[in-house]
Amino acid sequence: MDWSNRKDILVFLEQKEGQPIRSGLESLTAAKMLAGKTGGKVIGLLIGQDNGQAAAVSAPFAAQVLSAQGAAFSSGANDAFVLALEQAVQQTNPAAVLAGNTPLGREVTARLCARLETAGIQDVIALSLEGDMPRWTVPLYGGTILQEVESERLPLVATLRSGCFVKPLAGSPGEITAFPVEVSAGDFSVKVRETVREIAQQADLESAQVIVAGGRGMGSAENFALVEQLAQVLGGVVGATRPAIEAGWVSRDHQVGQSGKIVAPALYIACGVSGAAQHLSGMTGSGYVVAINQDEEAPIFDVADVGIVGDAVQVIPAMIAEIQARREG
Amino acid sequence: MELLVCIKQVPDDSVAVRLKPGAQEPDLEGITPVVNPFDTYALEMAVRLKEAAGGSVTVLTAGPEAAKDGVKNCLSVGADQGFLVAGAELAPGDTLGNGRLLAAAIQKLQAEGRAFDVILCGREATDRASGQTGPQLAEILGIPVICDGVELTATEPGLLVKQETEDGYRLLEAPVPCLITVNKPAYDPRYPTIKSKLAARKAAVPVIEAETLSGTAPGPQLRQLGLREPVRRRTGVKLQEESCADAAAKALAMMVQAKAL
Repeated sequence: MDWSNRKDILVFLEQKEGQPIRSGLESLTAAKMLAGKTGGKVIGLLIGQDNGQAAAVSAPFAAQVLSAQGAAFSSGANDAFVLALEQAVQQTNPAAVLAGNTPLGREVTARLCARLETAGIQDVIALSLEGDMPRWTVPLYGGTILQEVESERLPLVATLRSGCFVKPLAGSPGEITAFPVEVSAGDFSVKVRETVREIAQQADLESAQVIVAGGRGMGSAENFALVEQLAQVLGGVVGATRPAIEAGWVSRDHQVGQSGKIVAPALYIACGVSGAAQHLSGMTGSGYVVAINQDEEAPIFDVADVGIVGDAVQVIPAMIAEIQARREG
Repeated sequence: MELLVCIKQVPDDSVAVRLKPGAQEPDLEGITPVVNPFDTYALEMAVRLKEAAGGSVTVLTAGPEAAKDGVKNCLSVGADQGFLVAGAELAPGDTLGNGRLLAAAIQKLQAEGRAFDVILCGREATDRASGQTGPQLAEILGIPVICDGVELTATEPGLLVKQETEDGYRLLEAPVPCLITVNKPAYDPRYPTIKSKLAARKAAVPVIEAETLSGTAPGPQLRQLGLREPVRRRTGVKLQEESCADAAAKALAMMVQAKAL
């Protein structure tokens, strides 16, 4: 592969509450793989109003951390973020630009691709360096088909799915450099008026080892509490399907599926979940799947290691009793 | 408000798509093409905005003749007019090429007297889910973009957008013209009535030939090396016991044996 004069790998490290987000840090691992091929270095890019803490956390995982800091980079001011990213690309002339596959990561990379006339590779789940060019695997049709692609156009621009790359090993901290961007909040016509947080503590589905999920079959908010109870007994995280969320039984940060979170816990227990394609695409990566549903034809049973045909409202208490009996016995 | 909704036909995403046996091709036979669900939310949002603020809703799509069906479906649920851009030979996934095509068609319609205030797109299409078309179309048109809008309110002189975030929402204001990508709002798209369906079936969908448009060009493409299916989960055991206690006991025994617990 002809890298031209491009060697370094630029990684946009999105932040949340002063910390780099998981998929951003994981992208540094993919960046290291690519840098091994190009002979370049990994450069992290932070964009925000106060990057100090995130820079310190990220530095052990990159050769250099660029900090674009300023009042213009408030949460939601995506135009400013795209500008900073574009300028960082101009400055570092990277072989590849990576970001976590989040709404912000997707927006800034898509817009960057338009400005650079390059093809973006979104929601990467695997990267192979066996060939002459990097080969990227992306899901199609909700993940029932996987596509392997390569791109000749540089820089490569890709967003990486959370949990598909391991967190990088720490090394000696890279240099943290201020990256000045000529910008002020007034430069852009889109204005952020208000940011409201409705969910105090988001469910961490993506790191969960155990998930107990409830669907429409739970029937009511009162019954859904059984799902929460089982999750608590097992030390797991509560998951949910879209119908359960739209019924108001649980907040949307618990959604597992194509429009929610893609999860891969060691144990997934689906209660009153029918197994619609959009939900399955979110959890088929689970280690061991248990399904409880009254309908023996429910598609969820096709992906379950053990299925119980029955009313989850009755079965869950029986499971909890059995778990507690085993613990005592 | 003059509203434009860009739509795309996708395979019905409630059906799992598999590879054709022994072939490097998705098997889409027998899967009904539908308007991308996120585009249907965009359309519903546009129609509600029209109902609140006045104006009209135009639908635009690029594709083969059959794509007119999607346009007609939109006409049956509140769109006033629809156009098909035909004759472009673009590779699937060529979002920049597609963006330029749509932009050129939009500019042609605007030259003919339509001045769109807001262009709406679904946040992503369920077949590829790259989510690039909306933001890239905005870049090509040189207009502001706000992604993941779930509620739109016409203000004078712009648009107030409620943007869904992971843990809540943001309120943003944009001038018009602007482009909004849409995520699922609190409501479902309306259903057609028999009357509106019949009317839509009879409606004309004017075709804009790609070769009459200027400023179009294919974009850089990814090269597909191969398609494969992920390793499929083997169907396990289905327990149908008399008592829940029996079922629970058996299930837990299996989970323990499998070291899942």
